[in-house]
Amino acid sequence: MLAPYGFLAPAAVLFAAFLALPIGYAAYLSLRTVKVSGLGLGKGSRREIWAGLDNYARSLSDPEFLGSVGRVGLYGLIVVPTMLGLALLFALLLDSRRTRGRNFSRVAIFLPYAVPAVISSLLWGFLYLPAVSPFYYVFQHAGWDVPTIMSSRLVVFAVANIAVWGGTGFNMVVIYTALKAIPTELYEAATIDGASELAIAWRIKIPIVMPALIMTFVFSMIATLQVFAEPVTLKPLTNTISSTWTPLMKVYRDAFTRDDLYSAAATSVVIAAATFILSFGFLRLVQNRAFSQEK
Amino acid sequence: MRLHTGTRAATIVAATALLAAACSGGTSSSTTTDAATTAAAANEKVELTFWTWAPNMDKVVEGWNAAHPDIHVTVNKQDGGDPAVTKLLTAIKAGSGAPDIMQAEYQKIPTLVSADALADIKGDIDPGLAKQFPDGVWNAVTLGGDSVYAVPQDSGPMEFYYRTDVFDQLGLTVPTTWAEFADVAAKLHTADPTKYLGTFSAADAGWFTGLAQQAGASWWGIDGNAWSVSINDAATLKVADYWGGLVESGVIDNKPMYTPEWNAALNNGTQVGWLSAVWAPGVLAGNAADTAGKWKMAPMPQWDAAKPSTGNWGGSAVAVTSQSKHAKESAQFITWLNTDQKAVTSLVKEAGIYPANIPAQTEALASPPAFFSNQPDFYTLAGKIAQTAGSFTFGPNVNVAYSAYNDEFGKAAEAKSKAAFTAAVQSMQKITIEDLKTSGFSVK
Amino acid sequence: MTVMTAPPRPSQRATRPVRAGSRAAGRPSATSTLILLLGAAYCLLPVAWVLVASSKSASELFSTFTFAPSTHLVENVTTLSGYRGGLFWRWMANTALYAGVGGLASVLVSGMAGYGLAKFRFAGKKAIFNVLLAGVLVPGVVLAIPQYLLLAKVGLTNTYWAVLLPSIISPYGIYLARIYAAAAVPDDVVEAARTDGAREGRIFRSIAVPMMLPGLVTVFLFQFVAIWNNFMLPYIMLGDDKLFPITVGLSGLLNQGASQPAMYTSVITGALLSVIPLIALFLTLQRYWQVDLAAGAVKA
Repeated sequence: MLAPYGFLAPAAVLFAAFLALPIGYAAYLSLRTVKVSGLGLGKGSRREIWAGLDNYARSLSDPEFLGSVGRVGLYGLIVVPTMLGLALLFALLLDSRRTRGRNFSRVAIFLPYAVPAVISSLLWGFLYLPAVSPFYYVFQHAGWDVPTIMSSRLVVFAVANIAVWGGTGFNMVVIYTALKAIPTELYEAATIDGASELAIAWRIKIPIVMPALIMTFVFSMIATLQVFAEPVTLKPLTNTISSTWTPLMKVYRDAFTRDDLYSAAATSVVIAAATFILSFGFLRLVQNRAFSQEK
Repeated sequence: MRLHTGTRAATIVAATALLAAACSGGTSSSTTTDAATTAAAANEKVELTFWTWAPNMDKVVEGWNAAHPDIHVTVNKQDGGDPAVTKLLTAIKAGSGAPDIMQAEYQKIPTLVSADALADIKGDIDPGLAKQFPDGVWNAVTLGGDSVYAVPQDSGPMEFYYRTDVFDQLGLTVPTTWAEFADVAAKLHTADPTKYLGTFSAADAGWFTGLAQQAGASWWGIDGNAWSVSINDAATLKVADYWGGLVESGVIDNKPMYTPEWNAALNNGTQVGWLSAVWAPGVLAGNAADTAGKWKMAPMPQWDAAKPSTGNWGGSAVAVTSQSKHAKESAQFITWLNTDQKAVTSLVKEAGIYPANIPAQTEALASPPAFFSNQPDFYTLAGKIAQTAGSFTFGPNVNVAYSAYNDEFGKAAEAKSKAAFTAAVQSMQKITIEDLKTSGFSVK
Repeated sequence: MTVMTAPPRPSQRATRPVRAGSRAAGRPSATSTLILLLGAAYCLLPVAWVLVASSKSASELFSTFTFAPSTHLVENVTTLSGYRGGLFWRWMANTALYAGVGGLASVLVSGMAGYGLAKFRFAGKKAIFNVLLAGVLVPGVVLAIPQYLLLAKVGLTNTYWAVLLPSIISPYGIYLARIYAAAAVPDDVVEAARTDGAREGRIFRSIAVPMMLPGLVTVFLFQFVAIWNNFMLPYIMLGDDKLFPITVGLSGLLNQGASQPAMYTSVITGALLSVIPLIALFLTLQRYWQVDLAAGAVKA
């Protein structure tokens, strides 16, 4: 039967051309490097040669890279639970008929997802920087001494807040769509029995949307490891975000600022592998629990 | 899109048609080098594309297009600074996609030449052109060799800008030496702790390079067939130590420039001075229009008052890329753009630049920038200051040194410690030289 | 990635009985309303800032209280519209084209792939799905340059195609479409159609697509926004500023280099104008989710 292949063909062709091929190319580049000779100014003074695993060795032993990994770990611990917790909370509230203002809130909460990172940094920059921030204006007039959010100790929260702000709405919509697929009769009985909304949410709704939660968790984790746009756009506003603040920023610096595509490719292969291991490991861990009620 | 076997939903056809319609519009309207080649072969109009970030460049280019019906230049405005270079280097690697003409900051030229991105236009320009530019500037487009890689457009000799109203109010005198600058900074900040005479910006490597240049530094050099790197020379360490001291004592701010906060400080008068370059009036007018008439420009504070000098911050040249199929026409255009009196006058008026071309300067700079109408001799003074600029050689990995500056001085400025400032210079030196060695450059 | 291939939970949607007003389990709750509105306020606050800021003149932006509105909105819109002969509106149109056409094509491709994966058994199914999903693991920043180098080989850089084509494939979209197809299209309905002799393409078009519609709308919305916000790909691919989308265009107004002032007011006004179509789109698409609620049901 050829039909299923027919359905998959457009996706497969586009995937091959615009993802698989570039990925393969990047993997190839990760094993190459450029050697310059002399002053490197004349024509033909640079040659591309095989580098073996040199790029990988350099990437993995770079203290800046290891530092960025630690930072991203902390960042993920802040962002993922906060963002998904809020997304689940809002989705449940949207699903409850006892909540007012649902249509308005749904649009409002989703809206930040539609704001490009170029803009959101500018926007949050105005709210973060004490001299132009309305918050610090209030703090100052109230006589409170509030530390600046972009100081080296707190800057990770500043970045995390932008990610939570931008991502909650997206995850809320995913969970909300899953909630709406639950047939009402599943908890009608419980309602009649006098179970509270909280109990229904906890015992019926959350277990049923567990697959959606796991999916949003995995995708949020992947997005965390790839965090890039928020710190990059905040960077010019502060001394506390270095050009290798996250692993992907290092990739960007190598590829774009240092014009060293080869090291960048090697680091990104490492990031992709780590992402794969983490998401795979997590899924193995939760597999039994999450899908036990499916069969 | 037609690879599916059993299915042929009407929607696919519709979408394909939409795509085709949308995209054919795009491809036909964009000028490709191939199209230009065909046109030239048919002895018709030559089409040139020009990547630049100077504002209103299309208005300047209109003058060329009107006078040259056979060579048409299209302006593609790009982001300023590094990103345009990244894009050009990618196009060079790919073998296609680069424009004919490219604006490039002076410090990027060695990098671009090293990547074989620029054409040598020596044979396509008038040999007398060199005489029309200051030696230091011309040296930057030839890299001290026989080739010519670009025609200089503008330069950015550094100057000191200050708020006359605040200076008068607090009875401060304009500092002429760095020692006086430190005194004034301290007096000002003591008199009003919200006010600063300036900020040390770890985000602006070009700014610090200019300060180091003023002190006599030249970070790269060609020594026979090898590069030398001397970021940690005495001059640079002196500058870092000086600023580290000011930041440590708290009389100079430690926040980056070009942030909303910095703009607010320019507006509300808490940023009382700015060590900037000759293009500063445009930035001040755009960010703090209401402060017009309150600013004045003076020469930089000096290390040695007997031997006045300055550094450069910014400035760029216009080059022909190695992918251009019309190097001759392109060279003709960039010569016109940067030496023709009308073109240069228009560049000053529309893009607010300080032209590098000496013969065209007098007429183009006849009146001061509108924002500095209170200082009628603005350009006379600027001209005198420009002549004191020291020479400075850039190397092939300025990008590495500059990103090291951002990171290392970012840490130092945040730590507010004098020792961290000089340590940052040493790190920059180490990172820059290691990068050259890893890439295989000969290094002394 | 094995779990991802586990069959999604069996469909209840199509067979689901009346889902009328029974969810209205009581009086409005002040607490839940308050929490939700607080969430909305948190999300809207910076957007409200854009609204206020776009009414300020360039110097008011930095000199007056952040949330104090002014009267220069029309003036700012005029300035922005006048920039290089109305280039801003061209960027808006380009963005609509990239996101609209790209989003539609993406929904089609993802919908077909998701349906194929959910409703057929065939050799290599698991492998194909896993490989498609693995595309999520590689960040777009890394892919932009290789994609450029490859598209340059076929002469497509600096054209609309360069941004459109790579935007169509979305592993996430395929994943969602598979979930929705499995949940919304009952096997017996497909079987019945096959018994009636309907061709596979027709079953997909006239039976599966309408059932999957709410899910497809979600996929479209996500992909539309993803393309709308994409910066790196168009940034690398395009040299001609007449082809720029709004993100790349506005970033150019902000990053003019040290010697030029950033055009803050124009960027903020542009940001405001660019969010409006997205709000409109979201409000329009919401209806499809409500259709979902009412599907097979009498809406109270």
